[in-house]
Amino acid sequence: MVDALKEAHRILRPRGILVDARPESRVLAYAERQAPTGSYRRAGAIATARVELANDRTSDRALATAVRSGWFRSLRAGRFWHRVLFEDRSGMQDYLDDHPRFVHRVKWIVEPATRRKWERDPWAIRRAVRFELLERV
Amino acid sequence: MVTSTSGVGRLFPALSSQLRPQPATELREYGGPGLVRRKRVIDVGCGDGRMALGCAPYASEVVGVDPDPDAIRSARARARELGAANVKFRVGVAQHLPFADEHFDIVLLSWTL
Repeated sequence: MVDALKEAHRILRPRGILVDARPESRVLAYAERQAPTGSYRRAGAIATARVELANDRTSDRALATAVRSGWFRSLRAGRFWHRVLFEDRSGMQDYLDDHPRFVHRVKWIVEPATRRKWERDPWAIRRAVRFELLERV
Repeated sequence: MVTSTSGVGRLFPALSSQLRPQPATELREYGGPGLVRRKRVIDVGCGDGRMALGCAPYASEVVGVDPDPDAIRSARARARELGAANVKFRVGVAQHLPFADEHFDIVLLSWTL
């Protein structure tokens, strides 16, 4: 990763901008059910898988190395949210079963009966994305 | 329309950007089209070209690089569909980018590091 950042530094003009954006693993993602009105209601929380947490920490360290080495300086950082949409709850669960980023089990905050009632409604995973803009030194 | 995306990234890696935010959304968060307007932009780890093609209407030149040949094929096809003439895609890795020193104004590492 540090090699990739060094290469980014090489091809960027001085004061050019590097944008780093990645899933934000320091906050939970959420399982949400979409109501017929179109609004979403939080139904559970989804943690990041341990191996992905380790990968994210490695990325953080690489970026810190690039800044410490004087290749870049941070201009601005932030976070935004987006939703991955599913036709129904089983579609969401299939995704969680296959996807390496998340743990496979949702920590539910709604009762099983409510979940069964919502089974065929549209669902979404609402997840955070972190980003940072860095200036090439 | 709500579309089930389960299995998309697993079965069709080149299409995994369907699970990502819309490029306009991402660009807005980074400062809007002004960030890339009339700039030379490279999207490293571009996948099927989601962000590269999202920047194309504003940038002077966009290059997308990804190690996955299938993703690059998909990106080129999408660029043709969109008539994005200022975008080029090539297979490559982030550690060895075949471009001159200081060639680009913007480097995007969107879901890459």
